[in-house]
Amino acid sequence: MDVTTGWYLVLGALLFIIGGVGLLIRRNPLVMLMCVELMLNGVNLTFVAFSRRLGDIAGQTVVFFVLVVAAAEVVVGLGLIVSIMRRRPDVTADDLKLLKG
Amino acid sequence: MIPVLGQVFTAPSIDWWALAPQLILLGAALLILVVSALLAERCPAWFSGVVALVAGAGVFVSGFYLWYDIRDSGPRSIVSGALSLDGFAVLFTLLVAVAVVMTVLVADAYLEREHMDSPEFHALLLLAATGAIVMASASDLIVLFLGLESLSIGLYVMAAMQFRREEAQEAAMKYFILGAFSSAFFLYGIAMVYGSTGSTGLAHARDYLNRLDTAIVDQPWMLMLGFALLLVGLAFKVAAVPFHFWAPDVYQGSPAPVSGFMASAAKAAGFAAMLRIFFVAFGQSRTDWSPVLGVLAVVTLVVGVVMAIIQTDLKRMIAFSSIAHAGYILVGVQAGTSEGTAAALFYLFSYSLMVLGTFAVISLVQWQDGQPLDRFEGLADRRPLIGFALTVFLLGQAGVPLTSGFIAKFLVIKAAVDERTWWLAIAAMVISAAGAYIYLRVIFAIWRRPGAVDEEGGEPVAAPVVPPASGFAILGAMAFTLVVGFVPQFLIEFARDAVPVLLG
Amino acid sequence: MSILAATGDAGFAILNWLILVPAVGAVVVAFIPRGREDLARPVGTAFSAAAGALSVYLLAVFDGSDPGFQFESTRSWIADLGISWHVGVDGISLFLVVLTGLIFPIVLAGLDPHGDPKPYTAWMLVLQAASFGAFLALDLFLFFVFFEVVLVPMYMLIAGWGYDRRRYAANKFFIYTMAGSALMLVAIIAVVSLSASDGGITFDLNTLAERQSLATNTARWAFAAFAVAFAIKIPLVPVHTWLPDAHTQAPTGGSVILAAVMLKLGTYGLVRFGLYLFPEASVYFAPVLVTLAVIGIIYGALVATMQTDLKRLVAYSSVAHMGFVVLGIFAFTVTGLEGGILQMVNHGVSTGALFILVGFIYERRHTRRISELKGLQKAAPVMAGFFTVVMLSSVGLPGLNGFVGEFLILIGSFATRRWWTVVAAAGVILAALYLLWAYQRVFHGAPDEVNAETRDLLTREKLVLAPFVAAIVFIGVYPAPLLDRVEPAVDSLITHIEDNSNYRRPDQPVVVPAPTQSEDTGAETGGEG
Repeated sequence: MDVTTGWYLVLGALLFIIGGVGLLIRRNPLVMLMCVELMLNGVNLTFVAFSRRLGDIAGQTVVFFVLVVAAAEVVVGLGLIVSIMRRRPDVTADDLKLLKG
Repeated sequence: MIPVLGQVFTAPSIDWWALAPQLILLGAALLILVVSALLAERCPAWFSGVVALVAGAGVFVSGFYLWYDIRDSGPRSIVSGALSLDGFAVLFTLLVAVAVVMTVLVADAYLEREHMDSPEFHALLLLAATGAIVMASASDLIVLFLGLESLSIGLYVMAAMQFRREEAQEAAMKYFILGAFSSAFFLYGIAMVYGSTGSTGLAHARDYLNRLDTAIVDQPWMLMLGFALLLVGLAFKVAAVPFHFWAPDVYQGSPAPVSGFMASAAKAAGFAAMLRIFFVAFGQSRTDWSPVLGVLAVVTLVVGVVMAIIQTDLKRMIAFSSIAHAGYILVGVQAGTSEGTAAALFYLFSYSLMVLGTFAVISLVQWQDGQPLDRFEGLADRRPLIGFALTVFLLGQAGVPLTSGFIAKFLVIKAAVDERTWWLAIAAMVISAAGAYIYLRVIFAIWRRPGAVDEEGGEPVAAPVVPPASGFAILGAMAFTLVVGFVPQFLIEFARDAVPVLLG
Repeated sequence: MSILAATGDAGFAILNWLILVPAVGAVVVAFIPRGREDLARPVGTAFSAAAGALSVYLLAVFDGSDPGFQFESTRSWIADLGISWHVGVDGISLFLVVLTGLIFPIVLAGLDPHGDPKPYTAWMLVLQAASFGAFLALDLFLFFVFFEVVLVPMYMLIAGWGYDRRRYAANKFFIYTMAGSALMLVAIIAVVSLSASDGGITFDLNTLAERQSLATNTARWAFAAFAVAFAIKIPLVPVHTWLPDAHTQAPTGGSVILAAVMLKLGTYGLVRFGLYLFPEASVYFAPVLVTLAVIGIIYGALVATMQTDLKRLVAYSSVAHMGFVVLGIFAFTVTGLEGGILQMVNHGVSTGALFILVGFIYERRHTRRISELKGLQKAAPVMAGFFTVVMLSSVGLPGLNGFVGEFLILIGSFATRRWWTVVAAAGVILAALYLLWAYQRVFHGAPDEVNAETRDLLTREKLVLAPFVAAIVFIGVYPAPLLDRVEPAVDSLITHIEDNSNYRRPDQPVVVPAPTQSEDTGAETGGEG
């Protein structure tokens, strides 16, 4: 069976969905951060697949931008998580409920 | 022409003057970071604030310069199609400049009181502002995404800067997770648009749709999915229901000046992106997205107003009211006409000033346990001018005539009526009447005279200290709200002339 | 061009000054320094009285034979949308303007706000400016602006200087009115937007009324939206429930202004914007409005009878009186409309005076409960005398102003709405019942110990009430100068309705319509057209 670009798109979509669902159901901030990364990588795969199918290099360039942005997000995200963890060591997303109403 | 390894590389010609606003902000941010890092303790405390203020003012001036430049020589595409320089972009540049100046003025005393690091704060503010301007002027979805991210990442950190308060950290964490989540959606939407039209350029996408016109697009569902995902991503950013969960927590937990910046510049940038994508690029398929936005608008209005009514914390209340205002702006956006776009622009401009002013007043009244309403009781008695200003901001948000808020509401309703979307116009206005209660509660509290007979007890609190910078910012925002309420013609003209154009 | 430059025939734009003088006064009062609050009331009264003097001057130079708008002044405001600052006065608005001009200085000078006088005076002046604006505006947008702006100072007055449950009352007042005007704003935009194809976008009342470019059905919807907004303001049953609360909780000055000026915005709006802009639709909806008005007359009277709070009683009597005004307006006869307009003024004078008297009683006794008051006549005979005159005016005793208004309304509406008129006439009797009964309980009998010590009216208080009594007697005895000035405008309005609908007025506005003429039969059923 030939592996067409369509399969890559499906894989990208699956990664995106797994990341999205994971972000919604997991409660550990670190795992949630990883889920965001998974979503972004799903999109990256989609971009590359489209780029191959369209014969257009732009899609692959986009991936570099996304990687940089993702790295910047991780830096900020980890910083936030570390500063929260330092104060409340075993925090989960459910514990973040000072703000409510 | 630069020879690189024997080949000739033709760099795109860049109109550096047209990039002046972004360059000023970026340069100022770098200057602050470098100087404060090198001088460390010897760096005077006022340095970063003054640089940020000058940068904001510089952007404002350069924005005006570009405005008249566009008027003379027409809108154009710069940086080989990545950004467009049109009235729309410049008006948002002006708005962001105003928001930066206001935020710096208000934050001045706030940072000192809360022992926050001002160089970092100001550098991040300027970088976030750069992102907002890039968003408003992007004519390529990837550039738009980059603008969105630099805005968001700056804001994530700014929300967390008050790191001694757990609320701030929590707010930042929530903002970060949901922000990243929505960015991923937005990015996936870009991928879908790219996949179905073959480019991330907005002009390209528009031409593609125009060419096909009513004929069936290669993968229509893919493009529709792209629209939907882009809309979800942006709806998160502008805090439209049902993608609003983060807003109340984040506005409440963040430092008040940051909340003001989020509710003004960040929201405006989100709407700028929405207008550019939907009105300009996908204007052809208006019938596809307009009803969706209409429903979104009404749901946003209802949830925003109802939730705001039951809040007891002023910041949280303003957060929900800010959600409701996103609903009004959506009413203008869904019209899909240049009139609706102008109305949305007008609304964003006037709302931004009102909400910046409101948060400026809130930042004067800061307590460890939040901003419950009764902290504001008797404010008008102790600080009549500040009390009056807050009253003006709140009446403006309620849409009472002779404030800019009324004209804004009037224009979006008119845009809806002109398109004969009666149900939306009537729903929006009726909800606005109920929404008046939100602001009346606050107005009643601030005008409550200490010692007056009332059904509810409660001791009035001491008069807040009003630093000159904050006072200046508050009075400026109040003057703007009133002046535009009395003579709105000039801002209407600005908004009308600032309807976006798209150049490939 | 200066904003004050008139484009009309008058040398200086008196109407602009009418609005500007109190507005400037409000700013001046707001900037009175701390520690000199004692200056606020004199300064405020001076500005208010200056506006009042202008309104009297306006009355003097007004040309009573001209049915059109006079002293018009136009200036482009938001050119893009065809919105202009357009003010003018005609016979319909003239006396409401004069009433506004005179009652504010009296209230400011004569009634103690019992609290911080500076903001009170400033808000009062804002209220006066906005009321003038609403009565004078001839541009839909401008009218809406003033119609809404009056809410803010009134809200502040109730919320800041009212009684125990003032927060509830003020919020209810604001939100009720705002809900109504929300619909009206959509209707205004709809009217403008739909008739824009008919010669450009404009919010000008005269232009839109002359164009009549809306389809019948659309015009009816638009009228309904306007009518809801005005019905809330008047207020008509069943949207009247804000009124008793607002009146009861407002400070005395606020109650007087609310009754004398702000309620009139509703009925005035119906005449100026309902009838003029949507002649066909107002004829179509007349039976509904008249029915609501008559229900209001009876219901207001019955509920007033049962009140235990004197101020609430007066508030409900307002509902009944305003019902008469609406009945007169939707009679579509010259007599009925004239009576309606006269009754607006009468209600302002007599209900305003009643609220002042109730305020005086409260200041002395710190209660408004009828059961706690007794035999005040013995203790305060002068107050009882004033109360008698004002009350009889409200009841409609011949020789006093209330009689003239109600009589004209009943005659005018009998020709076109016979059975409604018959029921409404019963309301006159009920008015006598609840007011006389209240008077009897409060003033008659032997006072107990507390009531016996009630102080009689001071000179200042007598001076406050004197102009009201003078107006009551003058209009009652000699209403001709008023009616003469109202009639041409009313006549031309009814002609306008006839031109734009299938309604035809009865030949003679007499008590017994000539049964032989076919036009009369048409007129009687004209409302169904």
